[in-house]
Amino acid sequence: MVTKEEIMKIAILSKLSVEDDEIDKLTKDMGEIISFADTINNAADEGVEFDNINNLSNAFREDKVVPSLEREKILANAKDSDDGCFMVKNIMK
Amino acid sequence: MSESKIARLHEGLVSKEFSCRELTEKYIEAVNKDNGALNAYVTVTPETALETASIVDDKIARGEEISMLEGIPMTLKDNISTDGIRTTCCSKILEDYTPIYDATVWKILKAQNAVLLGKTNMDEFAMGSSCETSYFGGAKNPHNINHVAGGSSGGVASAVGGNIAVYGLGSDTGGSIRQPASFCGIVGMKPTYGAVSRYGLIAYASSLDQIGPITTSVEDTAVVYDAISQYDTMDSTSQGRKGESVRSTLKNDIKGMKIGIAREYLEGIRDDVRNAVEEAVEVYRSLGAEIVYFDLPSLKYALPVYYIIACAEASSNLGRYDGIRYGYKAQNYRDVNDMVKKTRSTGFGDEVKRRILLGTYVLSSGYYDAYYKKAQNLRGKIVQSFKKAFEVCDVILAPTVPMTAFENGHAVSDPVETYMTDICTVPVNICGLPGISVPCGFDNKGMPIGMQLIGDSFCESKILNAAWQYEKAAGKFKPAGFGVKL
Repeated sequence: MVTKEEIMKIAILSKLSVEDDEIDKLTKDMGEIISFADTINNAADEGVEFDNINNLSNAFREDKVVPSLEREKILANAKDSDDGCFMVKNIMK
Repeated sequence: MSESKIARLHEGLVSKEFSCRELTEKYIEAVNKDNGALNAYVTVTPETALETASIVDDKIARGEEISMLEGIPMTLKDNISTDGIRTTCCSKILEDYTPIYDATVWKILKAQNAVLLGKTNMDEFAMGSSCETSYFGGAKNPHNINHVAGGSSGGVASAVGGNIAVYGLGSDTGGSIRQPASFCGIVGMKPTYGAVSRYGLIAYASSLDQIGPITTSVEDTAVVYDAISQYDTMDSTSQGRKGESVRSTLKNDIKGMKIGIAREYLEGIRDDVRNAVEEAVEVYRSLGAEIVYFDLPSLKYALPVYYIIACAEASSNLGRYDGIRYGYKAQNYRDVNDMVKKTRSTGFGDEVKRRILLGTYVLSSGYYDAYYKKAQNLRGKIVQSFKKAFEVCDVILAPTVPMTAFENGHAVSDPVETYMTDICTVPVNICGLPGISVPCGFDNKGMPIGMQLIGDSFCESKILNAAWQYEKAAGKFKPAGFGVKL
């Protein structure tokens, strides 16, 4: 059974905050979803490993310079940018 | 039977029965009139559509040849990037995001002057089976707007089923093309993994995602698939189509074709759906196909395996939404970490958050082996069992969904119960196989029932051939009471 503490821990790992009024419902939902995932516990999986689908290997292309995206266009989607850079609050004092 | 709408409109354009502008205006009017009821489109692009239409009309006036898809009004699911046109994934976190490049599939179609009417509704980040996790509210079923269109490509299915688009492209991670096509009584195909480029498709679960067509006839699906199945240097999983145009083999005889039925697919299926599929079996018998029954015991693990793998990949793919480079950004925060947390917590909807949490859980230390690793091993087992199945049959016939379209609001109450509706569609994604849903009947409320044909990797031509022969002999497509009357 998944606990509130575990939910809070994975929320931190996921960079999601869980409010006090959400935690009970979320723990219940996650408990149900995880016990559904638990149905694979008893399945035999010896000797089988999954490598990739359809025996795909990386479809590499020739490594040559091609036109890339324009900096101004990229920055146009950011909420805060300055001097060709994305802006965030300072991370070091 | 359902004839090729694309071929008919193409003929009309070439013979100057109507101009591309007239055709496009008709569809724009229909979108304006019916989108309020269907909620299929989240962004409309009438100016772009009319500009393209006049290019096509000029070409026709000059006597130039036009391709099959040239000038045909269509739509794209709102997770397919369109340069300069808002692409939201139907999430608050991307509500004002405008891509600066085109997805390869759109680049291909745009080069053929496809007339884009707008971008269509979907479950947020393609996570859902009813379209109701959309930030913009769910798309409605054109056969009865009190029912959902299905998901996640619900908007495309609603628009195509309601004839406010001739065809559309959706994406299918666990059934998101086939399930809404089934619910809306139309055709939808998830191609083989690698057959169609995913460059520019906003990622949900990269080892499962695939773009494919949603249309009103099997022939239209073949036409669209032929156009988009090209090798692309921008997608490292790209292979393109293997072999000839699938349209050229569509009408082949299927005498002696081996149609496989896995008993497990018919367990727990609603009676009317099972009956409709069994009637289709009889149609195939009458067409001279051989019916082969077999067991696929590993199918019972497909659904949990799918959810573990899909959510694990989603938790990683959705890590990029941090409010810094694009998309929604929270206000009033203490520091960068707090900003990212607030952005994600208020930008993502509940279902997306649940799947990120589940994905993080199954990948976290102490749980990785029990869930993710085990699910990957079982994935290998399921792949093997399908490979074995294709030693005894050419094509597998199964229901697409265990039921018909649920009423609005029914799907969102219980997450696990909603996941169960994907039981027949997820194995195809787990194994990277092609699958097509074709209408095969109606329930007692008049809601469509769909059946699914599954082929071995890169055998799209076989499933399309089998689907076309069924459609010709006993097709169950029925126009809904919306959109352009042709």
